[in-house]
Amino acid sequence: MTAPEDGDDAAQRARLKDLSSALDAQRKASAPRSEPAGASSPSGIGQAVNLGFRVMTEFVASVVVGAVIGWAIDHWLGSSPVALILFIGLGTAAGFWSVYRMAAKPSGPPGGR
Amino acid sequence: MRGWDVPENAIDPIHQFNVERLINLHPLGLMDASFTNASLLMVIILGLVTLLMIVGTSRRSLVPGRLQAAAEMSYEFVADTVRSTAGQDGMIFFPFVFSLFMFVFFANILGLLPFSYTVTSQIVVTFALAMMVMSTVILYGFVRHGFHFLKLFVPSGVSPVLLPFIVLIEVISFAARPISLSVRLFANMLAGHITLKVFGGFIVLLLGAGGVAALLAPLPLIGIILLTALELLVAVLQAYVFAILTCVYLNDAIHPGH
Repeated sequence: MTAPEDGDDAAQRARLKDLSSALDAQRKASAPRSEPAGASSPSGIGQAVNLGFRVMTEFVASVVVGAVIGWAIDHWLGSSPVALILFIGLGTAAGFWSVYRMAAKPSGPPGGR
Repeated sequence: MRGWDVPENAIDPIHQFNVERLINLHPLGLMDASFTNASLLMVIILGLVTLLMIVGTSRRSLVPGRLQAAAEMSYEFVADTVRSTAGQDGMIFFPFVFSLFMFVFFANILGLLPFSYTVTSQIVVTFALAMMVMSTVILYGFVRHGFHFLKLFVPSGVSPVLLPFIVLIEVISFAARPISLSVRLFANMLAGHITLKVFGGFIVLLLGAGGVAALLAPLPLIGIILLTALELLVAVLQAYVFAILTCVYLNDAIHPGH
């Protein structure tokens, strides 16, 4: 009498566990990007385009800022290409660094870094 | 263009970004402080935001009407964003972030209306907004933490040999923030509006060409409809991204050196 019910119960429990773990995974996957379900939910393409755009601007801006700093130092010290080359390299590194940071922690939770 | 004569600016996708002086003002003959179509749009934006918030919060009924619901929703949305990214301490910046969000949001949305002007498609405007954010970050960081704020550039646990490079890299990536913040918003709006105009130009040109080509004219029209939907999404999303990145940067000023 009880055996089938038990089996049923166990199966149901297993299924529940399955579902809740799937739900957790789903939540974890979607949480960092779209917590305030505003306009972000309707389409993934907008999200993806937006993320790509963020990465691109972050990277390009770092390289450009590095180049400008290097150029300005060269301008002041008259050391023509040395600082420009050095700072373009540093700017590229900074670009990679901020892109890496963005990928590691998508939206910067409290505590930064 | 064998068919109709199309006026030049009807198919010029850049024409929509022209800044036209409505009232000429040259105080002291030193600078050009004319009231332009962009200024007019900004005044309209400010008026609309103020109207929404004042009228929306004036009745304070338990069951909110449409305006009150909109006002409360925007308040809660921004408050949640600030709280989740900058913590409870960040709530002192709530008025700042809220104003920024509402301004960018309304500018983006109003820019989508025909014959209107997109203020955020001018890099001066977005760069001014970004510099406002960054100067707030720097000022508040120094006022609250003194020279401790500079710890933001010195990550802990780095070998002393690498430290100078890491600090330089951190400084460069900090200096790049206002640029990426402003360029992102500006480029999104600019690119979207140019794409819409170019597709509109296709319709005019195809119709003008006549014959079989005119039969193809509905295709870019469908494209415009889809693009307009995408643009609406981008407009909202960019306002949100601007607000959330402001919060992330302000968070650095509140809790540096973690």
